[in-house]
Order: sequence, then structure tokens, then C-alpha cells
Amino acid sequence: MYETSDFRNGLKVEVEGNPYAIVYFQFVKPGKGTAFTRTKLKNLLTGAVIERTFRSGETVGEAPVEEQTMQYLYNTGDVYTFMNTETFEQVELQASLLGDDAGFLMENLEVTVLFYKGRAVNITLPNFIEAKVVQTEPAVKGNTSGNVMKAAKIETGATINVPIFVNEGELLKIDTREGGSYVSRISK
Amino acid sequence: MDPQLHALRLRQRAAIVRALRRFLDDEGFLELEPPVLVPSPALEATLEAVPAGGGWLHTSPEFALKKALALGLPRIFALTPCFRDEEHGPHHAREFTLLEFYVSGGRVRDLEGVVEGLVHAAARAVDAAPPVFASVTVAELFARHVPGGEPDDDDAWFHAWVHLIEPALRAPLFVRDYPARHAALAEVRGDRAERVEVYLGGLELGNGFSELRDPDELRDRFTASATARRAQGRAPHPVDEGLLDATARMPRCTGIALGVDRLVMALTGARTIDEVRLNP
Repeated sequence: MYETSDFRNGLKVEVEGNPYAIVYFQFVKPGKGTAFTRTKLKNLLTGAVIERTFRSGETVGEAPVEEQTMQYLYNTGDVYTFMNTETFEQVELQASLLGDDAGFLMENLEVTVLFYKGRAVNITLPNFIEAKVVQTEPAVKGNTSGNVMKAAKIETGATINVPIFVNEGELLKIDTREGGSYVSRISK
Repeated sequence: MDPQLHALRLRQRAAIVRALRRFLDDEGFLELEPPVLVPSPALEATLEAVPAGGGWLHTSPEFALKKALALGLPRIFALTPCFRDEEHGPHHAREFTLLEFYVSGGRVRDLEGVVEGLVHAAARAVDAAPPVFASVTVAELFARHVPGGEPDDDDAWFHAWVHLIEPALRAPLFVRDYPARHAALAEVRGDRAERVEVYLGGLELGNGFSELRDPDELRDRFTASATARRAQGRAPHPVDEGLLDATARMPRCTGIALGVDRLVMALTGARTIDEVRLNP
């Protein structure tokens, strides 16, 4: 059993008999009220995301999910192929199950593949990846006011928000949780 | 955190804080420095204070500022660090900054104009678009977003608030007329508290009252809070006798506390409270 204080992104929980991964959680305490944890849960079997709000201290079951570290190989259309580098066993997953995570996959990336009742059902990305910016507006010098973020497309396909001083071609450290967010630039 | 982005956010924060002080100064408010170490940290049963030096670090400057109102200072504010234990997350920090101000005379809805002026001054300081606020009652929000309307049970009320209503509050908004049992230090008229909450960018930014001026009623609320805390196995907050005394002498007034960190987040698009503060 997990309590709300155990919640973290990627935690596998069982709600109404279905396995979910926590993809977003937030401590909330409304004015003059008690504390809650607001979550978004991804159904590991369907990829559908539901919203659920737990009272502080409420418990939730652990999902009976097994995990294997595998390497992402390639995709053919909507089918993504992963391989266990020790047994060379390969599994295939549909893009609809991966959701936004597909936009952070690059060849040879090590991910965690989740198995439910012996069947590969979903993946968990590493918390952080490194990827190059392939497309963004040029930096604006001296702009310290208003919105200091802009959109940038990264080489794995996803589009994330980055600070205005980030340029095309730069290598970024990216947090893959909650849809992907900028952490820092990496100078090499 | 990216140091360059953090530095940018701190510049934006400084510009906003400067604009807030200038606006309040222009409007004739006197800035006061409330004590941070206090013998009674709060009224509300749900607030946890950080113990320090035989007392607590204040959870807001409310009690001190009410004692100042009773001294005959009619328009006052404090911009001060506050401390609430057991609160942490992208929108919560144990230490955070409140801007709390009081206006003598008037009712709670008069606060809305001053808050809008303040937020506009802050927005101009960082070249953000000035938010245009709407005003809505709690009953209207429940009718709109919650099947079955407003529950009587507190637990169900707050769960519906957090799960169904708050996520829908994206536009700048004043929310008013809370149930009397959620009055805290607000005056009650009929079954509703004269209390207003401010929402900006989906963030709860502040809480304002037509201030309760009946010391007997205030003592009853301290007693109810103590009972609720004992039932949860927590130590009750001590009654602040100086506050009861000030409550009897202060003029009819309204006051509101605004989260400065969240205001900076809402106006700059920062994702976490750590981004807009210097952190320990």
C-alpha cells in the first residue's frame, strides 16, 4: 500500500482493479481547508489518462507490474520495438499506449518496459535525457521581462518550453516527466 | 535549476516587489514590520506552524496587523516571510512571502478594486498583459461544476473544490460568499462568510475578509479550532488575548493576504515556487 506522501511520478498503483502509473501529482491545500494530492494517472493497459484527487493520508494499492530494462530499437509506423540486451528478447508496443513518451525516444535509449500478467504493456522513460534542439526561434538579447520561455523542437520529436536564450543545435538536459521540461543546457 | 533562468526569475521578482511597494505607497498605505516570532501562530485548525524559541514562526502577519489597526493606523500593509509546516510542492514552500494589507471602512468587495490595481502594477513591471478579473460566488461555482451542488459535509466540499472546481478556474477570478463554517476570521452574514479568494493563472493567490470585530465570537472560533485540533491528536493553537482585545477596538475594516511568490509565478509563467525564490 502507498500513502499520498509516497506518491512520485512513475509510481505504479492499482485503482479499481486496473494498473496505472502516476504521471502527475501535486500537493494542494485549498484556503482554510485540509490537504489533498491531485493526480493524473495513466492506465497502463489503454494509455488513457484519468484525474484523481486523494485525501492526505489516503492509501492506494500497488499495481502488480513487473519491470525489465530494455533498449529502444526502432519504430515502424505506430509500432515501437524494444529489446532486452541480455536475452535479446524483443517486444512491440503501440504508439497509442506510449502517448507523449514516444516523443522522447531515441535509438539505443534504455527504458523500463512494464509487464502486466506476462504481457508488455507500457514503458517508463529515464527521468532525464539529453537531446539537441532542432528548431526554435532565435534568442532575443537583453529581454528580461514578460514571458521568458519559448517553444523548441528536440531531435527525438517532442516540443518543449525552453528559456529564450536557448539556440538551435544546443544540447539540453530534459526532464521527461509531466510531458517534458527544460532542466539546463549541456556544454560539451 | 538552470542558474541563468533562476537569475532571470529573481530579476522579475524584484521588479514586481518594487511595483507592489510603490503602488501601496501611492495609495497611502503604511508599511509595517510585524514580529515573525509569535506566541500564537494562527486560528485555523488546518494550519501547522513551525515551532521556534518557545513560540512559533508566524503563519501570516494577521494578528500583528490587527493590533496595529486597533492603534488607529487605518491603511497598513506588511510584505513578509511566513512559515507553514507540512506544505511543500510546486506551489507550496515551508517559507514563503505574503503581502497582507488592511483598509479601514468598506466591505469585502471593495478589496477587489485594490487587488486588481496591485496586480496590474505588478504586471506592468514585467511587461505582462494586465489580467481582467471576473467575480463569482461559491454557490455559482458549485452549481456550474459539481453534480448535486454544494455538499454539507466538509470533506466532500473540499474534495469537490479541489477535484472539480479549482482545475476549471483558469481565468482571473474573485470568488466570494464562502460557507459560514469556513469563515476563519471573516464576518458572517446569514449562512455565508464575507470572504473573498483571488485566483490568477489557476493559482489561489490570496484570501480576504470583512474582518470579524466581535471578541466573543472570535473566542468561540478559537475554542472550535482547539476542539477540532484535539480531535486530530494535534495541540490546539493558543488563544491570542492581545488579538481579542484589538478585535474589540479596531474599526470596521477589510484585509487580504496575497502570496507574492505565486503572483510572480502567475505573471511570469514560472512552473515552480523554487524558481521565483532564493532557496535554502
